[in-house]
Amino acid sequence: MTSRSQSMERSTRMTEPLYFCMGDYLAGLFTGLLTAFAVRAIVGPQWDMVVAMLVGMAVGMLLHLTLLLLFIPLLGTFEVMMPSGIIGMYGGMLFGMRDAMQQDVISLSQALAVGGLFGFVVVFVIRWSDRQLRGVVFAKPDSHPAC
Amino acid sequence: MPLTAREKWDWLSLTYDLMTFGEDRRQGGEKRRLFAKIQGRTLLVAVGTGNDLKYLPSDCNLIAIDISPRMIQRACTKAHREGGNIRMVLTDVQRLAFGDQTFDTVLTVCTFCSIPEPLQGLHELYRVLKSGGRLLMFEHVRSKIGPFALFLDFMTYLTRKFGPDLNRDTVGNVLQAGFQLQREENVYLDIVKAIEATK
Repeated sequence: MTSRSQSMERSTRMTEPLYFCMGDYLAGLFTGLLTAFAVRAIVGPQWDMVVAMLVGMAVGMLLHLTLLLLFIPLLGTFEVMMPSGIIGMYGGMLFGMRDAMQQDVISLSQALAVGGLFGFVVVFVIRWSDRQLRGVVFAKPDSHPAC
Repeated sequence: MPLTAREKWDWLSLTYDLMTFGEDRRQGGEKRRLFAKIQGRTLLVAVGTGNDLKYLPSDCNLIAIDISPRMIQRACTKAHREGGNIRMVLTDVQRLAFGDQTFDTVLTVCTFCSIPEPLQGLHELYRVLKSGGRLLMFEHVRSKIGPFALFLDFMTYLTRKFGPDLNRDTVGNVLQAGFQLQREENVYLDIVKAIEATK
């Protein structure tokens, strides 16, 4: 098995421009904010929690699909799709449930702040996961090393 | 009525370069690293608009194929710009118009997410590859991580209507087609992979 560290040293993605890193976080922040705002605007305080969760997920996914068209050309397909989809799908569910239960006690600005923070954290976790997963997962001993 | 693969990719050729602008800049270096392993007579499957031609070694002897006439048209312009020994052929990877054991290397880039019958396509590649020849793939596959996999499954219901599937087990298909896996490298998460196999 070729060592992962050897492969990572050679990976060009380790030295990607700062523009991509900042772009990832800004896109995540924006997606989180917008998802929280849209879910808040649609889900009412007395909604059944299950319905609120499903509606939140649908709203989040719709937003995610729309934002893909904006961010993919700038930041790359999967680098946008994974965080944006996780924020839209799972974030939408969480925000939907929260807004059904706590809309009266949580202000709009607090809800948006949590949305932005959620987006930021998702991007951080996915970028961290990428660093852990990137590299050789299988190599026959006699196969050529990375050029 | 669902679009055929050719119709899908004819349509997508209009926005393909725009939509892959960022990806090209992020993953271009990884593609160049993989393409450097090309040896001898090479078949490039699904050349698309020719975005990846710039990552090929300058001395390669290449036949590039695609199912979409519009993609081939755009790729021809880029091939002319890049120079080198590149021939374009309009054909379907599931029914290749080449004899057995014709190529030393077969290269695919984000191809086996879109082919309607991936195993049939891989069997065809196996047929046209010489014994000991190399299959080099830069492909995206289904993640093995639960939340990512669930999301990719969900997205595939939408994306397959106008483009690729996002949840294929391409490494498994390569093995099923009879190839021997030599190397598997994650390029982005466990989704985008560089795969090397031999016949």
